[in-house]
Parts: sequence; structure tokens; C-alpha cells
Amino acid sequence: MALNNDVRPEANELLASVAEQLKVPLAIIARQAELGVLQGRRGLADTPAAQGLDAATIATQADAALMLVDSYLLGLELLRTQTQLELEPVSVSSLLVDAAHDLHGFARQYGVTVDLDMAGRYGPVMSNARGLKAALLSLGFALVEAQATQASDLSESVGKKPARVLLAAHRTPHGIVAGMYGTNQAVSASAWRRAQALCGKARQPFAELGAGSAAGLFMADTILRSMESRLRVGRYLHAGGLAATLQPSQQLQLV
Amino acid sequence: MHVLLLEPNTLLAQTYTQALQQDGFSVAHAASAQTAVFAADKHQPDVVILELQLPEHSGLEFLHEFRSYPEWKDVPVIVHSMLPPTQTIQVEESLRRDLGVKALLYKPRTSLTQLLRVVREQTHHLELKAGKRQSATEEAV
Repeated sequence: MALNNDVRPEANELLASVAEQLKVPLAIIARQAELGVLQGRRGLADTPAAQGLDAATIATQADAALMLVDSYLLGLELLRTQTQLELEPVSVSSLLVDAAHDLHGFARQYGVTVDLDMAGRYGPVMSNARGLKAALLSLGFALVEAQATQASDLSESVGKKPARVLLAAHRTPHGIVAGMYGTNQAVSASAWRRAQALCGKARQPFAELGAGSAAGLFMADTILRSMESRLRVGRYLHAGGLAATLQPSQQLQLV
Repeated sequence: MHVLLLEPNTLLAQTYTQALQQDGFSVAHAASAQTAVFAADKHQPDVVILELQLPEHSGLEFLHEFRSYPEWKDVPVIVHSMLPPTQTIQVEESLRRDLGVKALLYKPRTSLTQLLRVVREQTHHLELKAGKRQSATEEAV
């Protein structure tokens, strides 16, 4: 990493957004733990409802929060120091599989299915494994929460619609597109541009997707920009979401 | 007593719903303002617990629409939000005076016990009011 000690004002805006976002998993952990205590006092700890709120639930939320903190720290450091991550040949398929695995427990708690779809076989792309994984996780956690909100809302009005997040890669003339897509409400490019302009300035910059600060999306974009890519709105198999275009590693293609 | 819970996060909603149900309340959950209006129509809530930060339309927009219906004019609303008190304090007076908000709670610092206490207080007021109305009706008869 080449270091530059200039501090960018965007880092402060992103930090505000991150602080808002982290309230959610911490509130879930605190309230679920408290509910367990209340149920214990009332002798309800053995009921089916109480058994759903066991220590494993709290542990999954805490693990997710810790993974997010790591991703957020990387993004903030990149923004603060204006550094670029070193590009290296990376297997996008392996990273998507890893990210799907890490998201699985978290998504299950939200009633969201995580699926993988890799259309074709790809050689490595030029990216940074740590950075790309952090970006995928930031994006994934945010989309799972948003999909769960939309699905639970739809269930009240027009019948239960299953929530699903699809992690996918496909080849285009511009490169390999890796992204995450939701089966519920899609996002528009104009809404995403507006959200980026409002990052850190509005409490709900991306209300079209969900409540909250959308820090995970901005963080994913920040990390991707440090790897010569960026997050943009995309569609795949009738699902809308956010994706990044990655350049194939030319050197290894020759081999 | 029926509670309408407007909470965008489904895990938090499940937790609050369980706590309220174990306290004897029936709970209808909505994750957005638009659905909340349908849910209110269907479940006729006695109390509303409202997050101001909702997807698409804000909790404030919901509250204005909710209050525009005569049958929900007097339903107590408890604001229970991720917005810090430094933000809500600017609109607190207007929320209480113009929109009938009975309490403003900062979600990250409000325990389940505190939330349940505030909901119970509101339902207790409703029961007292209903009791008075009943007595007045009986006296009139």
C-alpha cells in the first residue's frame, strides 16, 4: 500500500454512516439477550418461542457485526489514506463461494436464502482478495437486511414472498461482473446515484432499498474504487442488485 | 389490546413481538409506512409503536396519514426510533402536540422492560378512559 496521510472529508461522512449502521446488530444482540433473561425469569425459557432466541442467534449477530467492523475499518483506512489496494490475480468464483458461506447463517436468521450462480468458468480477475471479500460481505449483509424487510412487508399485504439474495458472476464484453441481486424490489441507477450524493449527509440516503444509513453499500463501493472498480446497479436473471465489473487477468489467460 | 409495530428490521421486530406477546398483547407488524396503513385497517390497533426511519416513506409521513383518519385520531403512538434524541428533540413538541405522540424512545438505549412499561401505561390510560365512558353511559341510562 502506498500511503498518503491526507485525510479526506468523505471519511468523516462514511464514518457517521458506519456508526449508524452498527447500531442495528448491537441493538439486536442487546434486545435478544434481554428477552432471554426476561423469559428465564418468567419460566418461559423452554417454550418453542424462547428456544428460537438461543445463544447461537446472538453469536451469529455478533460474528456478523465483527465481520462488518473489519470491512468498515478497511474501507475507512483506504478512504482516509487515499490508498489503492494492490491488484493481484484473484478467483472471483472462490470469493463468491466464501462470501456466500459467511452470509449463510446471518441470512438464515433473517429468513433469506443465499444462492450462488456462476454462469460459465472464469480465469482469475485482477483485484485484491481481501478487498473484494470485504466489499462482497459489506454488500451482502446490507442486501440481506433489505430483502428481509421487503419480504416481511410484502407478506403483510399481498402474501408471503420468499426473500433471496443471489451471488452471481457472469461474463460481459467489459469484463467479469460479480454482484449480488435480490428477488424483491430492485434498485434504480438514479436512486443509487442520489444515495451516493447523500452518503453521511442524510440519515436514510437510500430509502428505496431499506431503512438506515446504507453504510454497507457505500463501504463496498469505497473498497471497490480502491481496486479500479466501482459498485453500480445491475440486473441478473430477473433480479436487481448491485455489481462490479472486474478485469480478467490477461497474464494468466495466456498460460 | 392490539399493538401495531412499525419496525423495518425483521429480527428486531421478532424480538419486540415476542416480548409484547408474552406481556399479553396481540401484535401486528409492518416494515413500511404503506403496509402499516393496511395493517392498521385490518387490525385496528389500540397502540402504535413507530420507527421514524422506514424504507421509502418515513414514519412521519405515516403518522400524518394515520392521523388523517378519524377512527385513529386518538390512538396513542409511541415513537421508538434509531434517531438519536439530539435529532428528535427538534420535532418533539410538534410530534406531541400536533400528532399525538405519547412518548419518544431512543431505540438503542431503550430496554424491552422500558418499552413494555410505556406500552402498558398507554393501554392503562385507554382502559381508564373506557371505564369512565362506561360509567358515564350507565349513569345516563
